[in-house]
Amino acid sequence: MIKSIEQYLDMLKAELSASDAATVQDALADAEEHLRAALANVREVQPEISEEEALAHVIEDYGSPAETASAYMEVERRTVPQLIRETSKNVSPLGNFFGVYTDARAWGALLYMLIAFVTGIFYFTWAITGLSLSVSLSIFIFGLPVALLFLLSVQGLALLEGRIVEALLGVRMPRRPLFTQRGLKWLERLKLLVLDKHTWLSILYMIIQFVFGTIYFVLFVTILSFSLSFIAIPFVQEILGVGAIMNNDVRYTFPTWSYPLLIFGGVLLWTAFMNIARGVGQLHGRLAKSMLVTD
Amino acid sequence: MVDSSALTKKFQKEMNAGIASLVLLSVLDKSKKPMYGYQIAKLLEDYSGDDSFMKQGALYPVLHSLESNGLLESKVEPSVSGPPRRYYEITSEGRETLVIWQGVWKQMKSLVDRAIKGA
Repeated sequence: MIKSIEQYLDMLKAELSASDAATVQDALADAEEHLRAALANVREVQPEISEEEALAHVIEDYGSPAETASAYMEVERRTVPQLIRETSKNVSPLGNFFGVYTDARAWGALLYMLIAFVTGIFYFTWAITGLSLSVSLSIFIFGLPVALLFLLSVQGLALLEGRIVEALLGVRMPRRPLFTQRGLKWLERLKLLVLDKHTWLSILYMIIQFVFGTIYFVLFVTILSFSLSFIAIPFVQEILGVGAIMNNDVRYTFPTWSYPLLIFGGVLLWTAFMNIARGVGQLHGRLAKSMLVTD
Repeated sequence: MVDSSALTKKFQKEMNAGIASLVLLSVLDKSKKPMYGYQIAKLLEDYSGDDSFMKQGALYPVLHSLESNGLLESKVEPSVSGPPRRYYEITSEGRETLVIWQGVWKQMKSLVDRAIKGA
């Protein structure tokens, strides 16, 4: 006999232990939302029955933890993120290397590397400002609500980052926020958040995202400029009629025979970078998942 | 001896797997406002009368899968009591798909009816 919604959620979590962490988070959020709404409704319609009986009715309709878990696992088997689905082709290494141009994951990773620069700066500023404000204001009474607001905003930003990561890097992330227990006073809520390892990992992620974002951005811009320069050398020399390299007022001209090599080199460099970006994207996705998703 | 109740349960489960998507899409198509999970479950309870269509908990993963395929959209809104609620709404892509699915359903229904009647 299940005595509380918390107990139901624990059992559901146990049933789903073999599933993806993101599925578990979705399932728990759905169950909590539904059970609380249903329980409130039953209590309103039939106030004479006990809390336990009401819960039994509600669970009877919703399904036992085992039944619910099997429904999620069944659907999860059929639903994988769009980007993962498209990449199960069997091709040669060379085809794989140049095929990167048709791989949505590589383009997604490139876009992510650009966006990470902006989000990285924002997360970093937000985390540092929030932390310092919360800590320094905590000597006043109104410092605590500030801290609570900050920690809640961290949860929200972690969810947002998860959505970006799933869309661009194709790594499955939670689609819904994880709820804490209901009916808590805000001070207790703050305590729960402070004691949650996940909160601190999210803040840490926000801080290191600044470093990653900067590195990604610099790599992106540098390699793009090098590739484009290599490709542009023959055109610059032929159209403007001057040497492409200038050193101490002396212009050096690349010989005509080197043009194909320069263009090929430029294309190769960029293609190699796209392959690296795809790999980095996957690694970053895994890092984000390990830090932002509660298990 | 064949355990007919277990077989029936399995039959129902397999049939529900496909129909649930059609039912949820239809409900959200008819609804003028976005609906949250419990509201949908309640409505289906009214439709199905005494024998329940499927466990309510099994509706949610179907909603997620419809959403990830772009047939539904959802947004989370805070509720007065209890945790925030996720409201689902049908997309224009969902409406187009529903028309096709309704056609498939009609064909299937007439086939099954004729097979049962044997005429």
